[in-house]
Amino acid sequence: MSNLRKREFAVGIVFLLVGLAYLWMTSQLPRKQFIDAAFVPYVLAITMCLLGAFQLWEAARMPAGDTGKQEDTADYRTVVKTLALIVAYAALLQPLGFPLMTVIYLFAQFIVLTPRDKAISYPMYATIAVLSSAAVYATFRYAFDMLLPVGVLSAFIN
Amino acid sequence: MLSLFQQGLEIVFTFQVLGLIFFGTVVGIIFGAIPGLTATMAVALFLPITYSLSASAGIALLIGLYIGGVSGGLISAILLKIPGTPASVATTFDGGPMMEKGEGAKALGVGIFYSFVGTFLSILALIFIAPTLAKIALSFGPHEYFSIAIFSLTLIITLSTGSMVKGIFSGALGFMFSTVGIAPVDAITRFTFGQTELNSGFDILPVLIGLFAISEIIKVAEEVKHEQQATIQTVKMKGFGFSLKEFFEQGWNCIRSTLIGTGIGILPGIGSGTSNIVAYMVAKKRSKTPEKFGKGCIDGIVASEAASCSAVGGAMIPLLTLGIPGDTVTAMLLGGFMIHGIQPGPLLFMSQGPLVYSIFIAMVVSSVMMLVCELYGVRIFVKMLAIPKHILLPIILVLCVVGAFGLGNRVFDVGTIVFFGLLGYGFVKCKIPQTPFIIGLILGPMAETNLRRGLMLSDGNFMGFLTEPISATFLAIAAASVGVHVYQTLRTRREASVKTAAAS
Repeated sequence: MSNLRKREFAVGIVFLLVGLAYLWMTSQLPRKQFIDAAFVPYVLAITMCLLGAFQLWEAARMPAGDTGKQEDTADYRTVVKTLALIVAYAALLQPLGFPLMTVIYLFAQFIVLTPRDKAISYPMYATIAVLSSAAVYATFRYAFDMLLPVGVLSAFIN
Repeated sequence: MLSLFQQGLEIVFTFQVLGLIFFGTVVGIIFGAIPGLTATMAVALFLPITYSLSASAGIALLIGLYIGGVSGGLISAILLKIPGTPASVATTFDGGPMMEKGEGAKALGVGIFYSFVGTFLSILALIFIAPTLAKIALSFGPHEYFSIAIFSLTLIITLSTGSMVKGIFSGALGFMFSTVGIAPVDAITRFTFGQTELNSGFDILPVLIGLFAISEIIKVAEEVKHEQQATIQTVKMKGFGFSLKEFFEQGWNCIRSTLIGTGIGILPGIGSGTSNIVAYMVAKKRSKTPEKFGKGCIDGIVASEAASCSAVGGAMIPLLTLGIPGDTVTAMLLGGFMIHGIQPGPLLFMSQGPLVYSIFIAMVVSSVMMLVCELYGVRIFVKMLAIPKHILLPIILVLCVVGAFGLGNRVFDVGTIVFFGLLGYGFVKCKIPQTPFIIGLILGPMAETNLRRGLMLSDGNFMGFLTEPISATFLAIAAASVGVHVYQTLRTRREASVKTAAAS
């Protein structure tokens, strides 16, 4: 099976699964009459299931040798690392606090995204990370009165 | 109207508001010029700054970012031959060849001038059309609003590029997310999984920030490792670089492209990203010398820039009069309005007249600032193109996180932008259009609430939606647009299969 066909199949399966999950969740809603809070979700869920089925049918009809127009040259290793850093940043923002977590995130993300033909400069990255974090925190905390979480640094900054 | 204009002038012509418009326009141009950054991202980034500003000052800043962001793309489109934003894709077709021929300064001059003309004319259209449309919209009831929401959803699905199935699914998914929280009319809590943060549903802004800013950053991560620093050539600007004769020759091309841009801008969900290409194709088709297009003629730049920038005024028309965003940036602006407790729609013209007119004036001021800044500051903007993306993008992500957190001072919204960022990236990889999702999310509650209200008014009878003339007209157009799209898709497929059969 070609890559394009596989992808379109996968998309169809995801559509169908999302539609079925939504249909099941909708069926748990209390019913009062035909047009009630569950009416629109039912219409949407059934539409999504039908679209999923149609997408699978379309994928099945695709010519087997169709490989798509372009070869996928994306660097997924960098994408996965970036995703992991973003998720970790969001998850640890409250416990570690904005200033510290931002420094850690920026420093790590600069390293992950540095192009292959460029040297990684740790001192420069650390300086930019610390300065950016301090500048963003100070601007939003003191100029715009935004209470960003300070986490472990609560004893030192307010 | 004149007194409202006067009050609008008083709001805008203060040191603070003028400064914010200038700042917004300059930053917008920088975001537009740097490939990978967009006007949507610029507005997302600066939303937290508007939290502590007055509504008029905050919205003036966002307007500056919008106008600068749409126009700024022409700088990299001509100098690097890489469109800074989707709004300047067609500018590369002739801007690039002109740069190669040593006419870069002229290409920039033409681009800057006609992006100003396009923006200005579309603002005039906005000023004259919006108040009249708002007056008409005042008589709309639930039947009309439901039909307009359905019309907008079907239109964006049929106009979105690629598979129609994916477009409908995207719209339905956005609609699905809008059903989270307390249901309209009977106030039943739906799909919250016991999370109190979800009781009021998903806030539009974190969803937009996630979908358009976070997913874009993840997308850039795919290629940033292999990216070579582009060689940026400099040009010496001396005036606009074109003659009065050329100005008069481009008159009809400019007006036609502005009309196309404004018209496309008015349609919900699509804007400058589509209008520049459509206007370029039309200009080429109507030209007496189509063979010159793509080889470096100013006609192509005029068409692209006038159309892309005129979509700005067009997109503001449905936003201000009906509360329906004309494109992704206006969807972001809708969130900006809501932060200040303002609900765009026909009543806005009655309750907040001076604010509406201050928006019109801020747009005119910003377009003039855009013209001056781009003309005299090209050299500075060119330097911005050299900022390494691996430093810039993580800092932008941090600012997006601050923006999401600042909405309600809760980490939940940060989680929301990450979730929708991942979803947006999934959309990109599966070639699912994102705009129907946003329109579904924004118009979902409008459609559902008005469906329920409309049925209550007509004693549960669906015929009410078909017997009200305006409602019936919108539903008929919606059905026709789907019908035409299905017919065109089937015809294209039939032709393709005939060709394949003939070839084999």
